[in-house]
Amino acid sequence: MSSMHLSQLHKWMLSSPPIEWAVNQLRELLIGAIRQGPVPQHIAFVMDGNRRFARSHKIETVEGHNLGFEALARILEICYKSGVKIVTVYAFSIENFKRSKYEVDALMAMAKIKLQQLSQHGELLHKYGASIRVLGQRDLVKPDVLEAVDRAVELTKNNGDCILNICFPYTSREEITTAIKSTVEDYSKPLSTQARPFSQTRITQKIRSRNLSTSPLRSTSPTPSSTSDVDDSISSTTTLHADSPNDGQEGPLYPDPETITSSTIEEHLLTAGNPPLDLLIRTSGVKRLSDFMLWQCHEDTEIVFLDTLWPDFDLWSFLPVLVEWQWKQKHIEEKGSANGINKSKIKVR
Amino acid sequence: MPVASRETDIYRRDAKVDHNLLTPAERERLIKPYLPNPPTRSPSKRGRKDGIPKIRIGQPKSSRLGVRKFLKNQLHALVYAVVHAIFSVYIRFRQAYHAVKDRILAILYYHHRTPELIQKDVKGLSRLPEHLSVILKLEDGGKGGAGLEALVDEVAEIAAWCACVGIPMLSVYEQSEGILKGYLPATHRAIARKLSSYFGPQHPALSLRAPHVPSMESPSSPPTSDSLGASSKTLSILLLSSEDGRDSLVDLTKTLAEMAQRSKLSSKDISPDLIDAELSESVMGEPELLILFSPSVELSGYPPWQVRLTEIYHVQDNQGVGYQVFLRALYNFADAQMRFGR
Repeated sequence: MSSMHLSQLHKWMLSSPPIEWAVNQLRELLIGAIRQGPVPQHIAFVMDGNRRFARSHKIETVEGHNLGFEALARILEICYKSGVKIVTVYAFSIENFKRSKYEVDALMAMAKIKLQQLSQHGELLHKYGASIRVLGQRDLVKPDVLEAVDRAVELTKNNGDCILNICFPYTSREEITTAIKSTVEDYSKPLSTQARPFSQTRITQKIRSRNLSTSPLRSTSPTPSSTSDVDDSISSTTTLHADSPNDGQEGPLYPDPETITSSTIEEHLLTAGNPPLDLLIRTSGVKRLSDFMLWQCHEDTEIVFLDTLWPDFDLWSFLPVLVEWQWKQKHIEEKGSANGINKSKIKVR
Repeated sequence: MPVASRETDIYRRDAKVDHNLLTPAERERLIKPYLPNPPTRSPSKRGRKDGIPKIRIGQPKSSRLGVRKFLKNQLHALVYAVVHAIFSVYIRFRQAYHAVKDRILAILYYHHRTPELIQKDVKGLSRLPEHLSVILKLEDGGKGGAGLEALVDEVAEIAAWCACVGIPMLSVYEQSEGILKGYLPATHRAIARKLSSYFGPQHPALSLRAPHVPSMESPSSPPTSDSLGASSKTLSILLLSSEDGRDSLVDLTKTLAEMAQRSKLSSKDISPDLIDAELSESVMGEPELLILFSPSVELSGYPPWQVRLTEIYHVQDNQGVGYQVFLRALYNFADAQMRFGR
């Protein structure tokens, strides 16, 4: 608590109305300025460092998570105002179930309460076109939490201006596995040939009977199939006979597995339909992906590792990242136009 | 969230009792001054539902609002230009600072092609990666040959450092369509030559391979080497390219789909363990440390499945392969401080 007391004066200064107003104006100005350049369409955050923050400030772990939630709200506000369309956050990993039961329960309760609270403001969310999606293994969530999740998701599913993806309980390997599994399921469904209103056997019979009626010699014969070994109709009957049993044996037809591409799998991922990930930020100085967005971030996503702990993460640590991203984007564009290849990076507005 | 401390206090008090203190309406009033203007949806873009008529009501005043908006935009554009001007000055300074720092480190820590020196550099480290991975980039220097030659030389250098440090497994990722894989024998020769320039006649055994390509082995130089423990180790090097990333997952899916069609497999059997086993069999396992020699972190198609828990190391604003980057990565991996000088 000592460091918190030390900063008391500083805090008091900042909370005096004129300074507060000035700081707010400055924030608005900077965020508005960011909007003028290219803005990442899709940002992912690994919200790491809540526990370490709690430990270093000697507060309860759960309290650290609460402050982490406030940081998330702050960041979402900045993202919204600067024109970011989709924010994906790593809220809870499947691995996190290994933590103490007390902490897991507290996190679950927190998720439930926050989502319930959110669901009370449906009108407001609708006004801003805000949508919430929860990505992850639903079967690992307790039913009461799941209910809150479903309500919030259902309430906002028609909004599409800005989307918050909450990865909860999530690991990327599970996601990829599920995507592969559902692709395989899609491809092992037989193609429905039965849907057509024409029957092949009927057509065969029609042709046969027409052949019979046109050949005067055969018209009186009671059993045409048994006499197929005789004279001119022989060729047509044998081909028909050879065909029909074949059709029966072939069994169901499947789509060709060679038509599977990486975009087929992508359509089965939990982030299907979202624009590609432009920026991935991990706080608290750990330089690992920890099973997050592996498929989405391994191509040209800019990955940034910051030393700030998540509850400390705010505009002043986020802004340099955004500005540097914009700066790089401009350089890519310059290079692209120099080479004659226009790497069409997304420009907002 | 409101920056304002009074509102934050109220919010926290509300949160403490699980948001039962305030009613939803009170909460909305609390945050109202901090909400941005709701988006004005142009009818062409999202022309549906309510919202639009409300905006239409405000239209008589729109001319003044338009001017204000225009001025605001101009101001923002100005601030944007200023911020970026400051930033480009700042980044030049940062790049210069890092360049000088890297240069000094490169002079302080130079390997002199002596395995003993390299071993001395890493002596104090508590742990070393069993499987190290690096991402290299083919610099296209106009003529195709020069870039490739430089790339092969970089691979050979890094291989030699790994051999000196005692890292048994090195995987080298190069994005472009397997350019290195096409020159497997030549690369093998270059690495063997580099190893003997470091170790002299008794260099460690070398095995070079790429996924789906048979490996090239070479014994630990002349078979006369009998009792030297350090140099009798094997260094295996794996060459990877973009097709070992997503494409390997796609290929696996194709195979699984085919098997499912022939009812040799049920989709329930597909689990992360199965995929992991297949991929580590045909491509590689998880590396423990990944070193990037680029100025920022961009995986450029590196195998996604395997990078799950890998420690990713890069030096900000660094350009090109350098021994000091390699060494700093190892220090970072072992959680050790680097002291200047040896």
